[in-house]
Amino acid sequence: MNQQAEPARLMCSRCDRDIDSCEFCDEPECPSAICGRCVDLALGQAIAQPHGHGG
Amino acid sequence: MPEAIDRDDVRRLAGEGAQLVEVLPAGEYAEDHLPGAINLPLRRLEAEARDVLDRSRPVVVYCWDAA
Amino acid sequence: MSPRAAWRLESFGFTDVYDYAAGKLDWLAAGLLTEGTNAERPRAGDVARRDVPTCHLDDVVGEVRERVAAAGWNACVVVNDQSVVLGLLRSKEVQADGDLRIEQAMRPGPSTFRPFVPIEEMAELMVGHNLETSPITTSDGRLVGLLFREDAASAAHGMHRQSESNSGGEGS
Repeated sequence: MNQQAEPARLMCSRCDRDIDSCEFCDEPECPSAICGRCVDLALGQAIAQPHGHGG
Repeated sequence: MPEAIDRDDVRRLAGEGAQLVEVLPAGEYAEDHLPGAINLPLRRLEAEARDVLDRSRPVVVYCWDAA
Repeated sequence: MSPRAAWRLESFGFTDVYDYAAGKLDWLAAGLLTEGTNAERPRAGDVARRDVPTCHLDDVVGEVRERVAAAGWNACVVVNDQSVVLGLLRSKEVQADGDLRIEQAMRPGPSTFRPFVPIEEMAELMVGHNLETSPITTSDGRLVGLLFREDAASAAHGMHRQSESNSGGEGS
């Protein structure tokens, strides 16, 4: 009986979140895959936490 | 009630002589600010706004984003 | 913060107060000029090539390939009439079957990046992921230009050399 092997899960290399493909290079098998949130933080497109002085 | 405006309004108002005021801390202002904007961190507003700003001109305040 | 500041100014008697609610991030994401120490560092929008060829979904690969090659490029960005990025043809996709429509051959919905992203960080990621090109867009998805890995790495390298040169000149 054939059992299809479960496809390997892709995880963000920085935060371990499950992802479908690397959000930087769009490749589903990227060895350094990262999620969109980590891309934004790495590139300064988002801030890590709200301002300490309130919004 | 203060009017919420977009960046096209900001550019227009700046061209008409409005005062642009960034209310973020000084370090963030130093890294990047709108051309011609002054820095008046929120916690210094009480003490300095009336001295630093011209009441006869429009004032546009901004911080990092709407979040 | 800005809404509170705006209200407080009104309570001081300022009568003409506006709140740029979308803030500095919106301004940066639109690729508009800023002042400050970051403004002196090269950013993705400064290094991206703005004259990148563009095409539309219902164009044909063969015709686009000819046009792209004639212009000396091997990549093309797929946009709509408002210059919103819909897809990307990198060197591999440009060589697809010439009868295909662009919509069939392109890489749909590519990751895009803002003009204000520092070039050093962008170069590091592009080299690490072996990414040939990256579309640079405004926050509403409109094309600013196409950033090449080589250009990003070169600009980042130039910054390092300048930084080392500056350090060496400070009485070491």
